[in-house]
Amino acid sequence: MAAMAMTTSGGPLLVAALLLPLGAMWLAFVLGRAYAPRVVAYALPVGVLLALAIIADLLCSGDALVYLLGAWTPPLGIALRADGLSAAMLLTTTVVLSTVAWFAWADFSQAAEAPEARQPLMFWVLLPAVWVALNTVFLANDLFTLYVALELLTFAAVPLVCLEGHPETLRAALRYLLFALLGSVLYLLGAVLLYGAYGTLDIAQLGAQVHPDIATWAAAVLMTVGLLAKTALFPLHLWLPPAHAGAPAAASAMLSALVVKGSFFLVVRLWLDVLPGAMLLEAGQWLAALGAAAILVGNVVALRQRRLKLLIAYSTVAQIGYLFLMFPLAAGLAGMGLPDTPAVTGGLLQAVSHATAKAAMFMAAGLIYSALGHDRIDDLQGVAQQLPMTVMAFALGGIALVGLPPSGGFMAKWLLLSAALTTGQWWWAAVMVIGGLMTASYVFSIVVRTIVAVDPEKMPKMVVPRYREASVLALAAFSFLLGCVALLPVEIVQVGRLSGVMP
Amino acid sequence: MNLTPVWLVATVLLPLLMLLACCVRPWRARMLPWLALGPLPGLLVALFATRDALYVFGNARLPLAFAVDRPGAALLGVASLLWLAGGWYAAAYQAETPARGRFAVCWLMTMTGCLGVFVVADMVTLYGLLGLLTVGTTGLVMQEGTPRAQRAGKIYLSMALLAESLLLAGFVLIVSSAPGNTLLIVDAPAAIVASPWRDAILCLLIAGFGIKAGLVPLHFWIPLAHGAAPVPASAMLSGAVVKASVIGLIRFMPLEHSPWLAGALLAGIGLFGALYAVLVGMTQRHPKTVLAYSSVSQMGVIVALIGMGMASGEGSAGVIAAYYAVNHVLSKGALFMAVGVVADTGRRRLWTVLLPAAVLAVGLGGLPLSGGALTKAVAKSLFGDGLAGTLATLSAIGTTVLMVHFLRCLKTFAATGPDDCAERGLRWPWLAMASASLIVPWALYLMSPRNSLPDALSPYALWAALWPIVIGVVLSWALLRWKRKLPQLPEGDVVVGLSALGSRVSEWAAGLGQGLDAALRQWAIGGSALLVLIGIFAWGLRTLL
Amino acid sequence: MTSATLFGLCAAALIGLGVYGLIVNPQPLRKILAFNLIGSGVFLFFGMIARRGAAIGLGGDPVPQALVITGIVVAFSATALAVALLLRLDAAGGPTTLDDVADGEL
Repeated sequence: MAAMAMTTSGGPLLVAALLLPLGAMWLAFVLGRAYAPRVVAYALPVGVLLALAIIADLLCSGDALVYLLGAWTPPLGIALRADGLSAAMLLTTTVVLSTVAWFAWADFSQAAEAPEARQPLMFWVLLPAVWVALNTVFLANDLFTLYVALELLTFAAVPLVCLEGHPETLRAALRYLLFALLGSVLYLLGAVLLYGAYGTLDIAQLGAQVHPDIATWAAAVLMTVGLLAKTALFPLHLWLPPAHAGAPAAASAMLSALVVKGSFFLVVRLWLDVLPGAMLLEAGQWLAALGAAAILVGNVVALRQRRLKLLIAYSTVAQIGYLFLMFPLAAGLAGMGLPDTPAVTGGLLQAVSHATAKAAMFMAAGLIYSALGHDRIDDLQGVAQQLPMTVMAFALGGIALVGLPPSGGFMAKWLLLSAALTTGQWWWAAVMVIGGLMTASYVFSIVVRTIVAVDPEKMPKMVVPRYREASVLALAAFSFLLGCVALLPVEIVQVGRLSGVMP
Repeated sequence: MNLTPVWLVATVLLPLLMLLACCVRPWRARMLPWLALGPLPGLLVALFATRDALYVFGNARLPLAFAVDRPGAALLGVASLLWLAGGWYAAAYQAETPARGRFAVCWLMTMTGCLGVFVVADMVTLYGLLGLLTVGTTGLVMQEGTPRAQRAGKIYLSMALLAESLLLAGFVLIVSSAPGNTLLIVDAPAAIVASPWRDAILCLLIAGFGIKAGLVPLHFWIPLAHGAAPVPASAMLSGAVVKASVIGLIRFMPLEHSPWLAGALLAGIGLFGALYAVLVGMTQRHPKTVLAYSSVSQMGVIVALIGMGMASGEGSAGVIAAYYAVNHVLSKGALFMAVGVVADTGRRRLWTVLLPAAVLAVGLGGLPLSGGALTKAVAKSLFGDGLAGTLATLSAIGTTVLMVHFLRCLKTFAATGPDDCAERGLRWPWLAMASASLIVPWALYLMSPRNSLPDALSPYALWAALWPIVIGVVLSWALLRWKRKLPQLPEGDVVVGLSALGSRVSEWAAGLGQGLDAALRQWAIGGSALLVLIGIFAWGLRTLL
Repeated sequence: MTSATLFGLCAAALIGLGVYGLIVNPQPLRKILAFNLIGSGVFLFFGMIARRGAAIGLGGDPVPQALVITGIVVAFSATALAVALLLRLDAAGGPTTLDDVADGEL
């Protein structure tokens, strides 16, 4: 594999992708008050266009975009690199954040004359902070920058959990922070070991040089487990339900949809690009076993929840399990000499689909809470009359999670099922099917409860602005129609992939 | 200009557009009278479309293909007729209900899915339409909002989702073994025969389509769902919606090269179900439930026909089964409508409804000169004269007995006022369907060059149809005389045992899951889990050592 | 045994102690201190690698030293954030323990 030695023509786009949210965060903090939301609101559409430009450049040139900071080549210099996976995640991040910002406008806006309040200011500062951290995770190409990006992501996400300042949310935030720190310090230790063994931290160079060795083994173990703690894969999910359920709706949407995907993306980078692929079939089975346990336990506990936001949080625990099913499938395909594209595309689609659908569901739950004043599932009767668009959005998001056509969830499930059945690992197929049935069960029971008609006089009169419902419905519809990307003639995952397809 | 692709796409597109129009609340409230127009493109496809012409609108990964074959066209035609009459009927039946907007939405979802299944030619779109069909049907079943309806809806949804999961696994296996990973249904039977997973695929498809068709013992959702839904919805469910699985089996099952065992098993299960459903149906009291059990029985016969085709390698079994189903669609739909009409009709005019209903009902058993007799005669050629033929004849006798029982239950269902008369909006669609179910099977019969009128009217044919009816009527009379009461089986028979088992299992699983989660949420245990994971991955990644 | 190996073993011991403390201690402040202990262990490890990878003429590989500085900053910010949260939790009332809350609460 030729080491990348120079910045490509699209390289500056990557720098822009990092500077734009960073600048937005800084400006929002400095200008404060009424200007903070506006700064973010102007930055986000530019971000969407930037992500589309990166994808276009990627598809035109057929290779990854690279930018070498200061024109210093690795291992001494730091490179930014965007391949197909990164570009897809960049676009998803900007789309979801734009919708969240649109949704949260009412919750966190402030009049120019009012004294500066902590909550609105911090929300509009932390949103671009999460954005820049995620962009760095997707674009950085060496392990240490990725460590910094991970920590930045955690630091941006933790205050979002306790934005409202209640003691329970503060405790949840502290648990999240400490557990995440444990995870990232294990990751750092692994990165240190790799440096000690190979003298470089650059992913491309490591991928070319890495061979079975005690240092490689220790590093792989530590980094994987550390990242699993940050991604809240079963059994390390102890921090996720209280954190995601306690945060305000817009923040929960960001946390569930995007923040957990950051550390998951790193696991993908680690396993697919750094470590030698075909050897990972057995280890992949362990990852997928944890994923299967997450799916089963997460869905079972979700079915028993009394509160809507906790149900959605446990649903996230389960859906994270799906993401990890792709590893043994990719390894199995590579072992059989077949391209592992179906498994990787399936994993990516699952991540994107879950991001959009879960964000829509959390925002819908937030709207229901603001209309009813509570989110007890037993008392959701009549919501469909009051908030028809919201219930529709919840139903569409739920269908995307269950996996019915034409949603992205269905495409992901189809790809992963084909990979599972082709490589003979039919047990993962069974797990996916059972998980889908359980997800359908709770989505259906909630939607049915909301549809029950109730005497209009008994409904609380709190009004929810139409545009908030519209934003949620738009994201849910996007998630529902995501499967139609299969109509595009592109195979984005293979563009610019570092590791070869054959073992 | 060949308009076939236009009509094919319009079959799905028109109801879908009407469904999207329902997003606007004022339109939704007024959608009821327009429901009858939805199936018109389907009717045009059945009458005028070129058979077996394939139209693909997407790319290899998402084909969006449309085509219609002979069995599909026949079933689509009668299903469209039923949806037409049903829409007319529902407009009158549901006119005063407050939830009619929701009814219209669910009706349109079911219609899109049901009609679409007959015209799509690729597996992904088929799966999507089956999902839409399931959601719409659940809504229709739960329309009345009673606890009985809620329970029926939940059970239906669980079984339908289970069936669709099995089908998805089957489809994925077929596509994986198909040359070029083609998603087209026309290539599926050949792919199944050549596949290394042939047996697994056949099991999955038979289980999936079997649940949707109501094969015993997974049939229990049919009496619950068809009994709990409002009358027009039940007519559609029993008449048209279950035929989606019939067309699925016809199109996917490799009739010519299957293993004999698969066909024999299918035929055996089908015929067993046909007889079992008759016996259980006799114990029911509500006319709708009796009709639902009759549907289970007839679906068993249809599936058995397909099974016999697979076992004997007879390629025309698909057409024969479709023809048999045609009669069932029309008659069952009409009979359900009759239930609604009878509920509004007083004693004095009851005979105007009961007489045609009796003709249709006994026609299902094979009354000479009715559509049922024709279809049974055609089916006889497939069943042959051995065990299968005997069982089929027994089922004809049993159906007659069941239908007589149905007529008696129907009579008790009449309105209290002696002069009550059902409104026009209910009576006319009912009469239209009744006439259609007498005319259409004859029309289809005579359209085929192999069949001729003198054959059908020959004394031999008439006697062959008559003697099972006679025996059935005699048995019914004997049962009436027999003073002992029949046991009162609950609706859905096996569901009682299954749901008790199901709730035990789910309680146990929930307890386990919640206990595990509560334990892991303790910091010390979660932290230790992290150390355990380090150990596990140290072992799992040992190839890197 | 060279000094690098000694420091490496020391680093491993620190990390081990830190992990033990982070998992076993119920009070958050002790967990924060344990995290700092792990951090120190990792940085010491990094330093040992710098020494082992020393090129001719230099006392130690410069890259890990640069990385350690960044790492110290990150660990410091993490500690600051954690302590701030802990103070806020204490001020807001309620028990300052991270062990599981009752099911009804959240």
